[in-house]
Amino acid sequence: MLDSILYDCIYHSAPIILCVLGGCFAYKANVLNIALEGMMLNGAFVSVLTYFLTGNMLITVSLTLLSALIYGFVFSYFGITLKGNVIVIGLALNMVASAIAGFVLVLMNSANIIIPNFDLNALKIHIPLIENIPVIGHMISGHPIITYLSFAMILLMYILMYKTKFGVYVRVVGENEEAAKSIGIKTSFYKYAAVLIGAIGCALAGMNLSLERLGLFTNNMTASRGFIAIAAIYCGQGKPVQSAIYAILFGLARSLSVNLSIFAGNAAGLFDCIPYLVMMVVLSMASYIKHKPIKERGYKVNE
Amino acid sequence: MNSTMSSKIIKIMNCILPVLMAFFVGGIVIAAIGENPFEVYWILISKALLSMTGFQNTLHYAGPMILTGLAIAITFKANIYNMGMEGSLLAGGFVAGILGAQLAGIPAIPLKFICLAAAAIFGMVYALISALLKVKFRANEMVITMMMNYALAKVLEYLATTVFRDAGNGYVCTPIVGDNAMFARIFSKSRLTLFFGIVILILVIMFVVMKKSRLGYEVTAMGKNFEFAEATGMHVGKTIIKIMLISGALAGIAGGGWMLEDQYRYTLTFSANPGLGWDGMLIALLGSHDPIGILIAAIFYAALKTGADSINMYANVPKEIISLIQALIVLFLAVKFIHEKFSFRRSAKKVKEA
Repeated sequence: MLDSILYDCIYHSAPIILCVLGGCFAYKANVLNIALEGMMLNGAFVSVLTYFLTGNMLITVSLTLLSALIYGFVFSYFGITLKGNVIVIGLALNMVASAIAGFVLVLMNSANIIIPNFDLNALKIHIPLIENIPVIGHMISGHPIITYLSFAMILLMYILMYKTKFGVYVRVVGENEEAAKSIGIKTSFYKYAAVLIGAIGCALAGMNLSLERLGLFTNNMTASRGFIAIAAIYCGQGKPVQSAIYAILFGLARSLSVNLSIFAGNAAGLFDCIPYLVMMVVLSMASYIKHKPIKERGYKVNE
Repeated sequence: MNSTMSSKIIKIMNCILPVLMAFFVGGIVIAAIGENPFEVYWILISKALLSMTGFQNTLHYAGPMILTGLAIAITFKANIYNMGMEGSLLAGGFVAGILGAQLAGIPAIPLKFICLAAAAIFGMVYALISALLKVKFRANEMVITMMMNYALAKVLEYLATTVFRDAGNGYVCTPIVGDNAMFARIFSKSRLTLFFGIVILILVIMFVVMKKSRLGYEVTAMGKNFEFAEATGMHVGKTIIKIMLISGALAGIAGGGWMLEDQYRYTLTFSANPGLGWDGMLIALLGSHDPIGILIAAIFYAALKTGADSINMYANVPKEIISLIQALIVLFLAVKFIHEKFSFRRSAKKVKEA
């Protein structure tokens, strides 16, 4: 029981962590990327479709990343170059991703894409020594590669954001664009880069969600994980490590609700809403604590 | 006078251009799967707008969308990104459906009133939660309302499968709403009901609220410059709660009305996909948050919906093409392709440079 709760916690956290890490840069660059959801769905869709058609993992990964970059470029071009409303653009891209997937599914005449004879177990990595440790072994070992990548990315993104010139510039652009411009930083470049990092993260999350774990795609299978990632980013104020911890918290809530619902009998359906409620409470608390010491007057929009 | 006229024309062009661009891209996709786009679009327009029955059906579908469009407009105009209307709509529809089935003995007019009032109240209560979290805890309203929507959908799914399930049916649904509660169809062929009249009445009220009242002015001021509105002494927090309540009530009535004029019972696909609340967002954007604009946009959008079914029937194109076109419209609407006060901006730049 405990084993499966902990394993599922990692399992459900991984795609959200990837989204969160990607979204953090955009958040810090002051371009709120609501399209995480759509980019993740696109990643899930393209990866399963290409693997279904070609059966080649290399082509699948490169095409998935390429399609993610296209989404990132569209988002950046409309939002940064043409100065559109990024929230509306994000929501539109979510709709576009879902519409394209729905359209192709209808053309293929089926409700989902299932990869035939897909060996899911072959993708799972069993770490030799750790596997044998009682509780932790089962929790850590036996995940697909992107799951491990997601946890490694927490550290990488932390370094990229705080220990490199690139990260500092992204944050400067977000905090004070005029100042950044005045010292000759190409602000648009850093904004584009921030959005594209997010797109890559979301594509990986989508691949993890559909291809690696299930070997199938159904439309809207992302089930608002992108928005949960946004909630986690808000809670962690765009800091990679803190935001990732909130993502893991959601993963834990989800894992608990899945595992405990077995005992709930009729009320099992109600358990599904727990993760969302947890996220709401956490976000409210985090925002309250953030604003409490500031004795400013009035309200600010969108922060 | 001349300049206001030209700025109005630019505004209208900024709404029409994205639609044309979306149809253009959609046309390429249709051509790519080997069909004639002009033929498909002609079917769309002729079936949805040019035939009498089709037009009445279009109006029928436009009803709830006008309400959700207004619900979005009043909050988006103040830069409050309330996504909760989808939840308010579901809550309103569910309550109206349950009451309509349980209280079927009450005479028709009071029963309809009870159902719609309950729908509005539930929509408001639902919106109030997120409004309070926004104002008291300063949580981001967009994320909160998104989370709440999913939580509510799960709760309603649970209620529809257990407590309120209609056991006589193979699929998950609530008991059927009594005939007393349902709005009767006006014409024999089309689906149009008297609820559309209520919608128009609400539209007129909202027109007055948004254009002539103090609240409407505050909303516009907040949308233009939040800090300034706050600094001049507006109670921004109170205004946020007020507009969220109005938004919730409108979406609740939209849900209740949709239940009582079309659905008969709450099913898991009550608001379809992507949902009437989301449609409202597109309509509000397309109508640039203006009541008259919303009316036109809703009719246009409903025409797409009724036309989509005809496309499926008369042409060899899946109706999902319409969702793609809708999504593209939103995408292109986010950008203003023609700038208002273009010349003013340029002269301001010159001054800066000098």
